[in-house]
Amino acid sequence: MNNTASHLRNVSLLILLSAVVCVPFADFEITAPDFWGELALIGHAALNPEVISWTELLVALANTLSFAFQGVALGAMTGFLLALAYRFSIVRSISAFLRAIHELFWALIFIQVAGLSSLTGLLALAIPYAGTFAKVFGEIFEETNKAPAKAIRNGGLSGFLYTTLPLAWKRIVDYTGYRFECGIRSSAVLGFVGLPTLGFYMETLFKQGEYSQAMAMLYALFVVIGSARLWLKRKLLPFYIVAAFIWLPPTADISWLLVWQFFTYDIVPAPLRTGYGDLSAWLWMLLSRQAVPGVVNTVLLTQISLAATLLLSLVLFPFHSKLFAGKSKILGHGLLVVMRTTPEYLLAFLGVIVIGPSMLPGIFALGVHNAGILAHLIGRYVDEFKLRDDAPRGMLLYLYEVLPRVYKQFLALLLYRWEVIQRESAILGILGISTLGFYIDSAFEELRMDRAFVLILITALLNIGTDALARYLRNRNV
Amino acid sequence: MATGNQPLFKLTNKTLAYGEAYILNDLNLTIRRGERIALIGRSGSGKSTLLKHLRSLSPELVTWCPQNPALVPMFSTFHNIYAGCLSEHSFAYNLLNLIRPQSKALEVVRDIARSLSIEEYLKTPVEHMSGGQQQRVGLGRALIQKSPVFLGDEPVSAVDEYQAGELIRLISREYQTSVIALHDVSLALEYATRVVGLSEGRIWLDVDVSTASSEQIAALYTEADE
Amino acid sequence: MQRLTSFGRAAFALLFVFFVSVVQAKEVFTFTAIPDQDETQLQQRFGKVASYLEKELGIEVKYIPVKSYAAAITAFRNNQVQLAWFGGLSGVRARLLVPGSEALAQGYEDQFFKTYLIANHKTGLQAAEKFPENIVGGSFTFGSKGSTSGRLMPEFYIRENLQKSPDDAFRRVGFSGDHSRTISLVQSGAYEVGAVNYKVWERELAEGKIDTSKVQVIWSTPEYPDYQWSIRGDVDKTYGDNFKQRVQQALLGMNSPELLAAFPRQSFVEAENDFYQPIEDTARKIGLLD
Repeated sequence: MNNTASHLRNVSLLILLSAVVCVPFADFEITAPDFWGELALIGHAALNPEVISWTELLVALANTLSFAFQGVALGAMTGFLLALAYRFSIVRSISAFLRAIHELFWALIFIQVAGLSSLTGLLALAIPYAGTFAKVFGEIFEETNKAPAKAIRNGGLSGFLYTTLPLAWKRIVDYTGYRFECGIRSSAVLGFVGLPTLGFYMETLFKQGEYSQAMAMLYALFVVIGSARLWLKRKLLPFYIVAAFIWLPPTADISWLLVWQFFTYDIVPAPLRTGYGDLSAWLWMLLSRQAVPGVVNTVLLTQISLAATLLLSLVLFPFHSKLFAGKSKILGHGLLVVMRTTPEYLLAFLGVIVIGPSMLPGIFALGVHNAGILAHLIGRYVDEFKLRDDAPRGMLLYLYEVLPRVYKQFLALLLYRWEVIQRESAILGILGISTLGFYIDSAFEELRMDRAFVLILITALLNIGTDALARYLRNRNV
Repeated sequence: MATGNQPLFKLTNKTLAYGEAYILNDLNLTIRRGERIALIGRSGSGKSTLLKHLRSLSPELVTWCPQNPALVPMFSTFHNIYAGCLSEHSFAYNLLNLIRPQSKALEVVRDIARSLSIEEYLKTPVEHMSGGQQQRVGLGRALIQKSPVFLGDEPVSAVDEYQAGELIRLISREYQTSVIALHDVSLALEYATRVVGLSEGRIWLDVDVSTASSEQIAALYTEADE
Repeated sequence: MQRLTSFGRAAFALLFVFFVSVVQAKEVFTFTAIPDQDETQLQQRFGKVASYLEKELGIEVKYIPVKSYAAAITAFRNNQVQLAWFGGLSGVRARLLVPGSEALAQGYEDQFFKTYLIANHKTGLQAAEKFPENIVGGSFTFGSKGSTSGRLMPEFYIRENLQKSPDDAFRRVGFSGDHSRTISLVQSGAYEVGAVNYKVWERELAEGKIDTSKVQVIWSTPEYPDYQWSIRGDVDKTYGDNFKQRVQQALLGMNSPELLAAFPRQSFVEAENDFYQPIEDTARKIGLLD
């Protein structure tokens, strides 16, 4: 028992300490012109949303939902097939690789071969989601009671259908339902690279300072996700998925010549492709000028955001718990819904407008979004407690009764988010924050697929490494 | 036990480990076709371990009925029983039966359920059934397998005495050869042709049922207390 | 195991169906433009250009907006658009990727284009003929990463005059995204100095959007060729003989002030691929092209 407690303490201290070490190297400058002025404008717009064209808004919303349903459905199917073979390490590695690359990077890749098409949107979501589904489904299958499977003789697919699958089914369906909600967020964000979802308009409108119209789009997203419990019913899902494919059939004009050229020419390092220059010098330039600074800044942003998430969730979860907030829990609930519904990419984008492209908007976005998720989960967990009648109240209750009971669970969830935070830290570079995404976006912008390819590989490896480290810390936590 | 009857299972000086500290030592056991063996001994004496080992020796010969029926709770009696014969059908047929029970499979399962007196629960999810009923479903899943040797680990522990007798007789009728772990000694003596007793990590008793004395059996259950 | 693989094969076949997707019939003629200024207005302006071309060419013409210079080039390469209003550098890149494509027409002003370096008043920098070497150590913002006037040419002159890469020359280097935003960032003091397309500067100045007590031009680059209309080489095959020439005639004949204001240019003149050789050479020199 003592061992567990000291281990929890050590991991927490490690997270905080690494953030403290990172802070001096991080860029905290506020470069935006007029912080308070801009904030006031956005605040004013938040109270005065404005819809110029309902058609545009509704079409964007329908597109957002269509990509989400198609992408998550295909991702779940593919992930399920992968999960069937999850005991093979090659399948586990493939899944880890698929999910280590963010959906925006997948979108940028598919735009190269399939253009700004509905097929690009579908694949950009389905591929990383398949990787995540494979992992989660694979773990669910592993945790399922093995006795029924052992009691019968058929160890193959039939046996799986009659024992493991029905036992795991509820968890699979619950998780898939939750992922549809995430899919709507991801789909909205795909608009930032040009697909016709809500993000497409939000990017333009926020950037041009048309905050009132942008806010209307954002509220549409809030309403759709916030009310998901009412309309995202299990029985209606097949209907939604079919409707999504009818509304936005996944097509693209694919020139197979270009696809061939993409793999055999575009991503071949320039010195080999053109015959000029020297491969080692090219690699050295790419590593020393882009990959190393990119990795360093990604790690800085990740660690500081992780610590920010830790502190912020511990502050916030009591507001989402009847035990502390009583009836005013509903307010805390509302706040957390907004925090976790707003995609972190969009939060960071707003942060960059108000603060400028330093680490601050990144930490703000990642901290707020992830703390919103964690505080929600922990608050719900706390409300299941049965405390003794003479339990202390207030601060004492928090420190001596609640925190010790939830901390282990909390830390496991936080470590689980680590990998997610890291993947997002990399992607935020597209907004101008100097993480790996900045250099990858530059490579795409300069149409240098060879560089983009190497940098994305490095990003994926960094993420797989973080995932492995988090799993190690989590498993020692038992 | 006619001559030329090859042993189905033969253990010679075999050692089996189970749990963390327990071991079955120096096992010598030969099982031939036509024998009905009652396996007795205190809980923790290693009966389950021995049965599992016998199953692993030639799984294709064995109809298996584990102690905990290990059913799929949300599945109906039909599906839980049908799960016992998956290997005999194609994947497509199994899938079809999962979606909608086919009349032929339904007929086979219904017959078994009838013999176990659970016919009216054919479509009930087993999680809504009593422990005794669940155990009969588990037995049904074993009975549908039709492999020649029945290995059962306390297959009737959760039903009343009268029904237990009925079920054991049913097993005896369906299977020429069986090895069943039983805690009910009188039932064991009624059903078996041979009694094997485990205690203190070894085979303590291995006699023809006609020569087994109640003192020997009682000793099996008290020995370790001294 | 046998069953598992056949199941897997079925799933892969299903996936493959998504890849072998329908090829749309190619009747609509589609064009795009690099998003170099306020995007909300681009849609409106180029919508008018689309209706003009539709009238002149007698077929359906569509404008699609894109989010970045690279997206415009990719759309051109993938034949998602057949015609595009490119900058100098984006045009060079696009035509390198699509063999047979041609520069058709450029704005009158694009023959002698310029980039302005603009500075916030607090820096105390004054307009001069000579490159302002004292901008070293400050903060600097380019426009888009793939822009000619907002990135390529200013970076070239920075490297030539300071003998340093922008990363080494300045305390902080930013990419505002487009020229309008560059002006507002320098005007507000978020960045001390910035590089901006002179046509966008002059239009916003005329529209009264610039506060000249806060930001002013401190230097102008020498002239270079910039924006142009480029068309894919295979359009005659798809849309009929002489289609390319008809498009060129329509572009050169665009003379209503309302349409020209979309660019903004006073008129269009003929262009050729060779006009942009200096841009290509410059891009290679500073390592923006491999």
